[in-house]
Amino acid sequence: MEKVYLCKTSELADNQVKKIDNATYGDIAVYNLGGQYYATADLCTHATASLAEGDIEDDMIVCPVHWGQFHIPTGKAQGFPCEIDLRTYPVEVVNDEIYALVDSNLIAKG
Amino acid sequence: MSNIIKTLDVTDALPNLKKVCNLDEGRISGEIFYSQEIYEQELEKVFARCWLFVAHESQLVKTGDYITTTMGEDEVIVVRQKNGSIKVFLNACPHRGNKVCFSESGSTRGFICNYHGWSFDTAGNLVGQHESGIYEASEFDKSKWGLKEVAQVDSYKGLVFATFDPEAPSLKEYLGPMTWYLDALFDNQEGGTEFVGGCIRSTYECNWKIAAENFVGDILHAGWTHDSAARAMLGGAVAKVSDFPESYSVNWNGHGYEFALDTVGNVAVLGESKLNRYVHTIKPSVAERLGEFRSNMIASVSSATIFPNFSFLPGQNTVRVWQPRGPNKIELFTWVVVNKSAPEEIKEMWRKGAMMTFSPTGVFEMDDGENWEYCTKTAKGKVTAKQDLFVGLGMDTLLEETPLPGNVYEGQLNEANSRAFYQYWFDLLNAKSWTEVPNRNKGKAEAE
Repeated sequence: MEKVYLCKTSELADNQVKKIDNATYGDIAVYNLGGQYYATADLCTHATASLAEGDIEDDMIVCPVHWGQFHIPTGKAQGFPCEIDLRTYPVEVVNDEIYALVDSNLIAKG
Repeated sequence: MSNIIKTLDVTDALPNLKKVCNLDEGRISGEIFYSQEIYEQELEKVFARCWLFVAHESQLVKTGDYITTTMGEDEVIVVRQKNGSIKVFLNACPHRGNKVCFSESGSTRGFICNYHGWSFDTAGNLVGQHESGIYEASEFDKSKWGLKEVAQVDSYKGLVFATFDPEAPSLKEYLGPMTWYLDALFDNQEGGTEFVGGCIRSTYECNWKIAAENFVGDILHAGWTHDSAARAMLGGAVAKVSDFPESYSVNWNGHGYEFALDTVGNVAVLGESKLNRYVHTIKPSVAERLGEFRSNMIASVSSATIFPNFSFLPGQNTVRVWQPRGPNKIELFTWVVVNKSAPEEIKEMWRKGAMMTFSPTGVFEMDDGENWEYCTKTAKGKVTAKQDLFVGLGMDTLLEETPLPGNVYEGQLNEANSRAFYQYWFDLLNAKSWTEVPNRNKGKAEAE
């Protein structure tokens, strides 16, 4: 397990999502849902799109391109055109720093 | 990369056009209401060049709010931007041309084409496609393939207009002094106006010019055409317009406004005394805001058209666009306009009143529709179409000495506005560019 630093809690207001560039594992989207933090892959599983540019609706992230939705806590794709689940990462908050726990053995680059 | 539509190549004028009208002699011919050839010219030289009404700002409150309408026969989307501005796009995907928005109005994060999943944000940018990897492998440049944007959009007192022509004069110049008169309905109270209810759509088998010309300056028909409807709504005949002590026909660039100064003549036909009272109640504040003269116009016997196809009736508060759908068909889009500051009860009364009178089942609208359809259909006859039609009332009634702005003619029982409307139409059909459109305005460009 690798602990990947994402951002400070002060940089992510409630109900916001932020894209963290990561060349090794692929960009990561980090979310703040009512003080609870989550992390998923940032790239939509359907077409080229950064989910961090989408809107959060309740606990769903809406892709900015075709408006497909993923459940943020589980990464579950909600239906066409998003049918492949989104990879999610466990999150650890240490003081005011948010980390994603990435299984470096399982994840290929990109 | 700009996706703004460029000026179209304008074809030559029709060679035999001179025969169809001579406004100095006060005549037109029915051919202009039925000819497919002339209609094709109108789409190109009138509707693809002039400023056309597309929306009221009250229909587009927040980012992503949109309505769909047409500019001529071109389908467009009118949408509020993040920065508060309004953009207008062709409602057609730049991939295969499919329509991208099927709803009349709503609020959205963008528009996605049903065909290949091309997706556009509210600013018209292409943001992605289904199977986006294929496009990336072809080095496709997304920035060049956004929704095609209409060249100019501007608004006056909540009325949003757009033109396809980047070389068209500014909206301010186009409307000229007509704005002074528009204020009588659209800016008579603090806060301005709003549309209430939705858009009422109906079709008529008539030429668009017949309808637009009726509103530009034909109150003459009312006392005769609408007698029975007036008796139903008012319990009496239409006001005898020739008895009004003071009335005018004013025009500019083919736009026209004809009006009496009786304050409540139009609103009275809605048959709601509370509306008459509302008009009388606000009148002193209108006089303070716009002056005594225009406070007499709030809901008086009056009508107006902004060239080519945007019309309204103060008092009935019906606002409409005569959408061309071929030489002998229109789709009529109608809305009801009210002062934002008016009590809810008054707004609702106006909405219902407009429905009773000027909607597809409205008593006045039915009267007009029948006449307009037959004005058009008789021109199906080749011989009939070539005959002269008289449009010569009030030939020498221009008022040289008047403080009023615009080309001001004495009396509203006058065909001066109709002539000016057809003249501007004729001038546009003969002009390959805006610089070739003659300036026939004689009056003051601004109010004193």
